[in-house]
Amino acid sequence: MAAPVPWACCALLAAAAAVVYAQRHSPQETPHVQYERLGSDVTLPCGTANWDAAVTWRVNGTDLAPNLLNGSQLMLRGLELGHSGLYACFHRDSWHLRHQVLLHVGLPPREPVLSCRSNTYPKGFYCSWHLPTPTYIPNTFNVTVLHGSKIMVCEKDPALKNRCHIRYMHLFSTIKYKVSISVSNALGHNATAITFDEFTIVKPDPPENVVARPVPSNPRRLEVTWQTPSTWPDPESFPLKFFLRYRPLILDQWQHVELSDGTAHTITDAYAGKEYIIQVAAKDNEIGTWSDWSVAAHATPWTEEPRHLTTEAQPAETTTSTTSSLAPPPTTKICDPGELGSGGGPSAPFLISVPVTLALAAAAATASSLLIW
Amino acid sequence: MDLRAGDSWGMLACLCTVLWHLPAVPALNRTGDPGPGPSIQKTYDLTRYLEHQLRSLAGTYLNYLGPPFNEPDFNPPRLGADTLPRATVNLEVWRSLNDKLRLTQNYEAYSHLLCYLRGLNRQAATAELRRSLAHFCTSLQGLLGSIAGVMATLGYPLPQPLPGTEPTWTPGPAHSDFLQKMDDFWLLKELQTWLWRSAKDFNRLKKKMQPPAAAVTLHLEAHGF
Repeated sequence: MAAPVPWACCALLAAAAAVVYAQRHSPQETPHVQYERLGSDVTLPCGTANWDAAVTWRVNGTDLAPNLLNGSQLMLRGLELGHSGLYACFHRDSWHLRHQVLLHVGLPPREPVLSCRSNTYPKGFYCSWHLPTPTYIPNTFNVTVLHGSKIMVCEKDPALKNRCHIRYMHLFSTIKYKVSISVSNALGHNATAITFDEFTIVKPDPPENVVARPVPSNPRRLEVTWQTPSTWPDPESFPLKFFLRYRPLILDQWQHVELSDGTAHTITDAYAGKEYIIQVAAKDNEIGTWSDWSVAAHATPWTEEPRHLTTEAQPAETTTSTTSSLAPPPTTKICDPGELGSGGGPSAPFLISVPVTLALAAAAATASSLLIW
Repeated sequence: MDLRAGDSWGMLACLCTVLWHLPAVPALNRTGDPGPGPSIQKTYDLTRYLEHQLRSLAGTYLNYLGPPFNEPDFNPPRLGADTLPRATVNLEVWRSLNDKLRLTQNYEAYSHLLCYLRGLNRQAATAELRRSLAHFCTSLQGLLGSIAGVMATLGYPLPQPLPGTEPTWTPGPAHSDFLQKMDDFWLLKELQTWLWRSAKDFNRLKKKMQPPAAAVTLHLEAHGF
């Protein structure tokens, strides 16, 4: 037993010497990764080299000016994002690579912005988060959900990195949910939390497939249809009500209609011949808030095909022009007298198809023939 | 109902027995009876009205209790000590409730809640609060009657208290002021949650009682609409 011990001892010493030699004389396999704060000053030593060793520094293959050196150390003042890169120091004469640093310039995380929403009530809700300002370096997020004292699982969204989903186990709970998020990176750490009741975060997705169509032979009507959002799981037990808004493109003022059920509505006061923009929003009948507005639908009410004008007036129609009983649209701004009326064919007694001046002239002629004056 | 001596809810529970002996609403047997549909709709509308009323009442009452009860972030743990009927229910269980059970749970819940509210009214300090609470209690009584009407129309018996559960009231140490306020807080919270739940319950019942949509459309076409 005495003989192997000194032999083992020698082997160990030789191995240690080899390691020390390798460290001092061969380049590092992988660069040292370093994170520094934007705006700060940093001094990069050239590995284990002496302070007075003769070295040259390069960043991403480009030489750095010697005035940045403090002995063999590289001094960077007022770090900017552009300072990020691969820094390497070389023995000046032999160009032997001594040390490499992969520098990342960034910021510690600010307080994250967290929000939760249930667009799939009563199935569950999701929470999403983001940082108000970028950190420029990788961050890790950790989300915890508490219902009273019970911890709930927040499943990561398969597609979105900053979202996770929670399934409701119980409905109609009086206990609030508390969602906490912590974010950390190499330069710092931050966290925030929000607390809410089950009912307050309910907000459906906007209605889908909003279609507006003109109604044949009705110049002031538009028929609007839509579908309940496909993400709303149970419209039977949790019915939605809808809010419709519409306006002609040329006006800024919206008209609003609230509908307690059904997925169709007919607008009956459209300005004839004007293109309309129509949107719909949805809300659970009792709880939560309105969805965002749907994708807009455009439509123009039906207009009669223009007839070829003849050179003579048509007396049969002008004598009945004064008996029209339809009210004109509310504003006279965009109302042409020729657009009054909602009748269809030429046989409709209320249809006025000639300019007013001609009608007046004809009426005057008729009146004079009746010896009114 | 769990009754413990000295529990303020227990003291009030004895008063609840008065409610149990309300005469059952007789089933109206009219010719051309439209069925339970209209009365379910009426009950639904009542829950909405009550929920709206409760919002302003709760705001006033919580302000009267003072902080922290009137703070929006107030999130105390729910200790199991109170005997309030809880609206919370497992999602699948709620979905699969049969009509009778659904209605019974609503009726029993509001019976208890009404009794507790009347106790609250007795202690309320200001006349204005007492007036608001009294008004709300009347409306809640109306809701109970409406639910009873629906149950009677559908032929379900009104829930009766089990024999032997009549409380024997022994006076015990009074609740501390803070704990009393906590009880009030949970009463209002539970009431609000029940009203939301009832709206959903009656929605479900409404849909089940509705005539099929196809029949309605055919009727319109027959009149050359």
